[in-house]
Amino acid sequence: MEKSNFESTQEIFDMWLKTYEATFGRIVEMPAMGPTRERSEKMMKGFSLFAELSSTWMDSNVNFQSVFMEAMRRVREKTANEMEGEINPEKYKEFYRIWIETYSETFKEFLKSGHFASDMGKFMSYFMEFQKFNREMLEENYLKPMNLPTKTEIDEINKELYSLKKKVKELDRVIKELSLTNPSNKDEIL
Amino acid sequence: MKEANLIDFEKFKRGMELFLEPPDFSVGTTPSEIIFTEDKMKLIHYIPAVEKPYAVPVLVVYALVNRYYILDLQPDKSVIKKLLDEGFDVYIIDWGYPSGTDRYLTIDDYVNGYINNAVDKIKERSGLDTITLFGVCQGGTFSVMYAALHPEKIKNLVTLVSPVNFDTDKGLLHIWARSLDVDKIVDYYGIVPGDFLNAGFLLTDPFRLMIDKYVGLFEKIECETDDGQCELRNEETVKNFLRMEKWIFDSPDQAGETFRQFFKDCYQKNLLIKNKMVIGKTTVDLKKISMPLLNVMAEFDHLVPNEASKPLNDAVSSSDKEMLVFPTGHIGIFVGSRSQKDVCPRISEWLKPRSILNGEGEKRPIQTGKKRSERKRNSRTSRVNKK
Repeated sequence: MEKSNFESTQEIFDMWLKTYEATFGRIVEMPAMGPTRERSEKMMKGFSLFAELSSTWMDSNVNFQSVFMEAMRRVREKTANEMEGEINPEKYKEFYRIWIETYSETFKEFLKSGHFASDMGKFMSYFMEFQKFNREMLEENYLKPMNLPTKTEIDEINKELYSLKKKVKELDRVIKELSLTNPSNKDEIL
Repeated sequence: MKEANLIDFEKFKRGMELFLEPPDFSVGTTPSEIIFTEDKMKLIHYIPAVEKPYAVPVLVVYALVNRYYILDLQPDKSVIKKLLDEGFDVYIIDWGYPSGTDRYLTIDDYVNGYINNAVDKIKERSGLDTITLFGVCQGGTFSVMYAALHPEKIKNLVTLVSPVNFDTDKGLLHIWARSLDVDKIVDYYGIVPGDFLNAGFLLTDPFRLMIDKYVGLFEKIECETDDGQCELRNEETVKNFLRMEKWIFDSPDQAGETFRQFFKDCYQKNLLIKNKMVIGKTTVDLKKISMPLLNVMAEFDHLVPNEASKPLNDAVSSSDKEMLVFPTGHIGIFVGSRSQKDVCPRISEWLKPRSILNGEGEKRPIQTGKKRSERKRNSRTSRVNKK
């Protein structure tokens, strides 16, 4: 596959990342002090999470860009071979057919590769971590001080509700079984 | 050149006119009644199309990831209607739309809870000890688990495009699933959004599913001014398109813990086919499946490749087992032209002799109470959202 122009962007990004890691990245990872120590340390983690997310996003993007370039190259090759003469609407349709088929096939090859799966897996993993961090920060710094319910608290209630429902269903089942084995005690059991 | 341009514009214009006044494209219109509910799960009974249906009722279990009405998309493309017309007494589970309170539901709750209670309800209504379980897609995987855990309640098992062996490189979802950190996804979302899964499905063929499909719709619009049936055909084209479009994007969110277990134990560890999957406190042993089995697949299935379904027949201990492969795709098997012509008739043909009660004649009258005509009149015509 052809080298995409996007790789130059990645080179600049890599330079930025190296500089960040050597300078600001070290500062934000310093142990915090003082009464807001815990909160500050948590907040600072956001910077390194964002740097990791950006880095995996860049890797995925470069790979995607390369596939686009390859698809474009194949379209160019096919249209040069298959389309000749005057350009008219029927030719546009033919161009569309070649374009959609070539792009679909080229991307299918890429999407099937372990390379894409691993890139996507990494990106999703960092993305979820980053989103979770943002939500935790929102809860810690806004919702809790405002005395508003948080997602974490709602999840706790949902878990409690789930356990209770399960227990009630189990008890219902036992009662039903008992009343079936001894119908005369049905009212007593209920 | 100018003419060709005008025709294309005319197609687009006519298509847009139809969209501005969209026709009724109701889905799931086969008459039915809800006979049992538990949390968000509804057990739906379709009103039989014959006076005396086959004795053994059929419970259809569809996947959690999309809505069950793909099996009853429209009257001329309805697996359900076809089964009713063939004389079966059909039930289906509607899983509903999970929300926050369902986050902690596990596969155990679905299989040993909802499916088991639905089976018990049908047994109670029919007065039989066993019924036919007809699992579709992920619902088929759940049905296989259920049949292995409760073989005494199942007379016949039919699986349609259902994965049981997840260790294959043939389907993109199987390849991608291995690299996903499902814990992080569930821990963040809790209830995994349907749109998240949809994005994954669209990514399996992005250009065709996000561009070509829509171009294709307008390409199909006809502009014959001297043909009186043209408008009707256009309306039908738009209706068919919108029904499918509605189904594709009507994606319920997923109960987080079920999603986590399904992904880890099935897609990543492939425990089901190895007889190592634990549901509740019991290990699922596929050898406990000894009832007649019909395993149906689509040859060009890009979501559940044949390699994912075929091993089921070797994993079970049933002596009466059959495998059918149709030259169609994952969705085509429900709504494609072959579905009504080949798939449903072949399934019915297999099921009929196995739906007769020994020594009790071929069919049983439908449940007493209201007369059939009355029941049909009073039943809900399950139009799933008019538009």
